[in-house]
Amino acid sequence: MTAGVRITPSLVARLVVLAGAIVFFALAPLFMSNFRQSELVLVGIYFIAIIGLNIVTGYSGQISLGHGAFMGIGAYTTAILVTKYDVGQYWTIPLAGLIAGIVGFLFGFPALRLTGVYLALATFGLAVAFISLAQSTRFEGYTGGGGGLALGVPTTPYYLTWSIALGMFVAAWLLLRGRLGRRLRAVRDAPVAAVSSGINLALVKAIAFGLAALYAGVAGSLLVIRTGFVNYLTFPVLLSILLLTGAALGGFGSLGGVLFGALFIQYAPGLSATLPHVPKESAPSVMYGVILLIVLFLMPGGAAELVRRLLGLLKRLTGPRYSRRTGERVVS
Amino acid sequence: MRKALLVALCAATVALVPVALGGSQAEPGVTAKIITIGGTFPLTGVASSYAPIPKGMTAYFSYINATKVNGKRGVNGRQISFRVEDDAFNPQQTLQKTQALVEQARVFALLGGLGTEPQLAVRDYLNSKKVPQLYVSTGATTFGFDQKKYPWTLGWQPDYQAEAAIYGKQIARNHPNAKIAIIFQNDDYGKDYIAGLESGLGSKKSQIVATRGFNVTDPSVGSQLTDLRRSGADTLMIFATPGKTIQTYGTLPRIGWKPENIYLNSVSATDTFMGIAVRSAGAATVNGSISVQYLKDPANTEWNNDAGMKLYRRIMAKYLPEANANDGLYLYGMAKAYSFTQVLAKLGATPTRAGLMKAALGSTFKTNPFALPGVVTQTSGRDAFPISQVRLIRYNNGTWTAIGQLVNGRGK
Repeated sequence: MTAGVRITPSLVARLVVLAGAIVFFALAPLFMSNFRQSELVLVGIYFIAIIGLNIVTGYSGQISLGHGAFMGIGAYTTAILVTKYDVGQYWTIPLAGLIAGIVGFLFGFPALRLTGVYLALATFGLAVAFISLAQSTRFEGYTGGGGGLALGVPTTPYYLTWSIALGMFVAAWLLLRGRLGRRLRAVRDAPVAAVSSGINLALVKAIAFGLAALYAGVAGSLLVIRTGFVNYLTFPVLLSILLLTGAALGGFGSLGGVLFGALFIQYAPGLSATLPHVPKESAPSVMYGVILLIVLFLMPGGAAELVRRLLGLLKRLTGPRYSRRTGERVVS
Repeated sequence: MRKALLVALCAATVALVPVALGGSQAEPGVTAKIITIGGTFPLTGVASSYAPIPKGMTAYFSYINATKVNGKRGVNGRQISFRVEDDAFNPQQTLQKTQALVEQARVFALLGGLGTEPQLAVRDYLNSKKVPQLYVSTGATTFGFDQKKYPWTLGWQPDYQAEAAIYGKQIARNHPNAKIAIIFQNDDYGKDYIAGLESGLGSKKSQIVATRGFNVTDPSVGSQLTDLRRSGADTLMIFATPGKTIQTYGTLPRIGWKPENIYLNSVSATDTFMGIAVRSAGAATVNGSISVQYLKDPANTEWNNDAGMKLYRRIMAKYLPEANANDGLYLYGMAKAYSFTQVLAKLGATPTRAGLMKAALGSTFKTNPFALPGVVTQTSGRDAFPISQVRLIRYNNGTWTAIGQLVNGRGK
């Protein structure tokens, strides 16, 4: 990691936004019902998961359609430790992240041989295989088979979730702005050049998958603590696709947009009920699809790019103007 | 100064308490004109074939809301507003949608929530909040057996163990030398059925020669059926939800197996699903299948002149004109909605959540126009299984025919 952080106006602006977000999330419960808080807990869980997905897909350019499976591994780790070994549920969160992270790291090695659509298919297979494994009779003693595992009454771990979310956000930011981030981007943008400058492609990709899975594992663990119940249907393939949608909407390769992606996953289905001419049942899927298409066609950088463009526009409007013909500064 | 402020604050607090208490006296979801209830159902996803159930319930409530009883529309003069939420059969979504119904929409009760695991996932929550989880749409035995532990939860339909016990007794009596193979959904649902079958078979339990489970998301059941066929069984029990039941039928002719007797659980034995099974497997395989029923079958012409069926068709024509009224799931929804209005009517002018559970748990309702004649909805302190009478039926060329009288699966 680089020592010493250069203070630039953009860094200051980011820190101000971050501080604003922290104050908002710290005070929000004072003005909210328990239900609204429980919704924000889910936003926090998606937030953590999408940071992870952004590391592997946004920064290192490896498409993952299996992120939900890593969440599932984290969730089952917590559920099994709590129900079978009487471990306090909060203590299982780091373990869930660790185990999911190890699985992700190991998955990253063979994934090296695959690129593009083949990698996407392999990760998709992971999401499908997880569902079959979770309900298989072979591991029924641990996983509860198709019936799943119940932890009891659901909880609303608001401050816990958002503290973890903040910590993991800052950690990701520090990691990605340094040497690792540079290597990941090099692997994404110019793999051949990356290898020739001495980057171990296999290791970097595996680390990206491991980190992504660690984030997903923590998110899955929090999800089972919040829900109090887990079975194979809790992590459908659709969840992996939704997370990817959220990451794309927030903007791949940008941590700032992650919060937008998380808010979108949580609140878009509710908003979609207002769509005209679409049956209520299919409205959320239609909405996800349409918005994803619009964003990918018009604004491939997602919300982060939108903010950048708006800021650029603002600068142009308020800053000095130049004549299109002569190129000289215009004084109005 | 600070002391004065404190005193003023205390005074304000004391003054506000009665206001707050006065506000909380009214039961959630109940106003002078409307009673709001809710339920979660899989309108999308793996179990979306059950989506007609909440539609049937809503249609019946619309009918009741428009019908005058003793000069007042609705139940005791209140309109019923039924809020249906889609949980896609995902327990995590079930919880989220249930919390939204309880804490945001402030419903009076949850009615008819569908699916064993989804409903188990919210049972602790609803009981901790003391919100009725009434007439869940699952026959999992735990909803009746463990009712004392979860006093705010109650099932409705005949439970799976009782149903399977009836098959077991029928086999022991009519086919004492049967060699039985079981294909089952590998979760509490399927295991409930196996437990019931074993208890019904009694000493003939050892005649179960093979059992194979499948996962709901498995693409096929071919390998399980091939194994079962190899066991030399002549009787096949299909303990599965509709999609996999149809798939099982469709696979049988392809692997060249024609079991002498096929039994399937009532959940999958509606006319619509059987029709698909016939199209997929041919009538020769499907004919002769045995199941049970406790509701009238809208696809069967025997009810054409029945008053209850006529009411059903009238409601369907008015509120769901585009739906296939022969689909028994709509009727199931209506029968359940009818049961709810029966209980609600007993609560009189001031319905409470506690009163609702008390009425649902200690009542006998002799009639339900949509259930088979003679089927009662009955509970008592010791018995938390509202409906437990069924009759055996056999499928032949598009129709189910009764092959016996009503029997009580719980031996009441």
